[in-house]
Amino acid sequence: MSGGLPYNTIVVLGGVAAIGFASGVVGSLSVLRKRPLVGDAAAHATLAGVALAFLVTGRRDIPTLALGAFLSAVAGLVTLVGIRRYTRTREDAATAIVIGVSFGIGVALLAGITTRGLPGAAGLGTFLLGHAAALTASDAILLAVMSLGALLAVTCLFKEFVVVAFDADYAAATGWPVSAIDVILVTLVAVMVVVGLPAAGAVLVTALVVIPPVAARQWTERVSTMLVLAGVFGLLAAVVGVLGSAAVPRLATGPLVVLAAAAICGVSFLVAPARGLLMRRRHPP
Amino acid sequence: MTRPGTLPIIEFHDLTVAYGGRPVLWNVDLTIDEPCLFGVIGPNGAGKSTLLKSALGLVPVVGGSVRFFGSPLNRVRGRVGYVPQRETVDWDFPVSVTDVVLMGTFPRLGWFRRPGRKERVLAAECLERVGMNQYAHRQIGRLSGGQQQRVFLARALAQQADVYLLDEPLAGVDVRSQENIFRVLSELRDAGKLVVIVHHDLRTAAEWFDRVALIDRRLVATGKTDTVLTPENLRTTYSGHLEVLDALGQAVATGARTP
Repeated sequence: MSGGLPYNTIVVLGGVAAIGFASGVVGSLSVLRKRPLVGDAAAHATLAGVALAFLVTGRRDIPTLALGAFLSAVAGLVTLVGIRRYTRTREDAATAIVIGVSFGIGVALLAGITTRGLPGAAGLGTFLLGHAAALTASDAILLAVMSLGALLAVTCLFKEFVVVAFDADYAAATGWPVSAIDVILVTLVAVMVVVGLPAAGAVLVTALVVIPPVAARQWTERVSTMLVLAGVFGLLAAVVGVLGSAAVPRLATGPLVVLAAAAICGVSFLVAPARGLLMRRRHPP
Repeated sequence: MTRPGTLPIIEFHDLTVAYGGRPVLWNVDLTIDEPCLFGVIGPNGAGKSTLLKSALGLVPVVGGSVRFFGSPLNRVRGRVGYVPQRETVDWDFPVSVTDVVLMGTFPRLGWFRRPGRKERVLAAECLERVGMNQYAHRQIGRLSGGQQQRVFLARALAQQADVYLLDEPLAGVDVRSQENIFRVLSELRDAGKLVVIVHHDLRTAAEWFDRVALIDRRLVATGKTDTVLTPENLRTTYSGHLEVLDALGQAVATGARTP
């Protein structure tokens, strides 16, 4: 590849592609389970974990920060479940509370770290909106391996996820442990949010889990096809976003990833056969 | 196999269920010990669906117990088929008719294993029985209400159970589907299965069910249909629903369907 892209860029692109694909696949199941905002709550909760992981360890390598992000995402989701169970607050309101409060904590911690000028603190801010160019090849490989792990879990538990998403009462009546299967799914969503964090950022990573699945649903009436298609859309959005932000110096990756995903979704809304707005008029159902 | 007569097929013992502190079912004692078409009848809010859901472990029970073949549900879950109310699922879900019926084979498959040829053959047979095989590949939202109900019934058939619990399978269903569903349920009964049906239409209840239970938060009466559906029992069951009772009296007198 003489004169082509440098090795590091190629590896990062490959990693981001894997992240985008797995996000679309896992996100599809979360959208079908009618819990698209779970990813949003997890994503906003990651920021506090990134900041705390840095404060506690003084390190800012991706594995350390990702572990912190994952733990605080789980803490955010446990809080969400707790609010629902013990206060009779509805799921949407509880989700909004977790998104706002956890993100507030994260931003406050980051601001504290930055103003105190702790050594090595520079760059933590990139987790807000994503900065894929800052990834090293080994980081990208780690994130790609985690993405493949999430894909493997979906492959193994596909039928369990689908029966719970379609008809949770029936699944429970026929002996499936619905809560446990939901916990596994939510954990996978949290993993994908953490994995996508360096590329898309805490504010926007959730778009990778929600927008590609919604776009994919427009094109197919089969779950398996929807998952693969959402994966392809997520991959395209992630790669386009990373290439675009690499071309423009100071531009964060997250916004471009989201815009690319939104473009795919917009086109799907308009021209998908059977469901597209423009097609529906011509072929009434 | 448990033979009819040795152990009750279903036994509700002193069952009490409450939602948010408000009791929905009180001290229900009900035993069904032979295969039949069994109707659970009562006014809206009487706890009919709750009775089925508590039997399936879908709602927490405050007191009492439910046993199938003398065992707690968890030990015999494979022998209990379920048809929930049609309104409980999202019919825009991207699955085909066959996909839904295959879900009935999942409990036997267990974790991780996907349905294969054997399961597909079984699903096709079940669709044939409910007269839906020509729609096998259609997305489930593109069916009429009656057809959707028949798909749910086919899914329960694919469970190959010994007891079937159905929640309002005949509500809002076209006549053709109603006849098809009733025929399939009768075949199940004739094959030695117990079929328990939550139902709200008193006139068809008298026509279709071998045995019934009248329920209004507690058990009012149970037994053979003609001995239970007496004016006296109906008055007790629907006492808080006088306007319904008037309509019922007229409907029964004129032979029309109840509202």
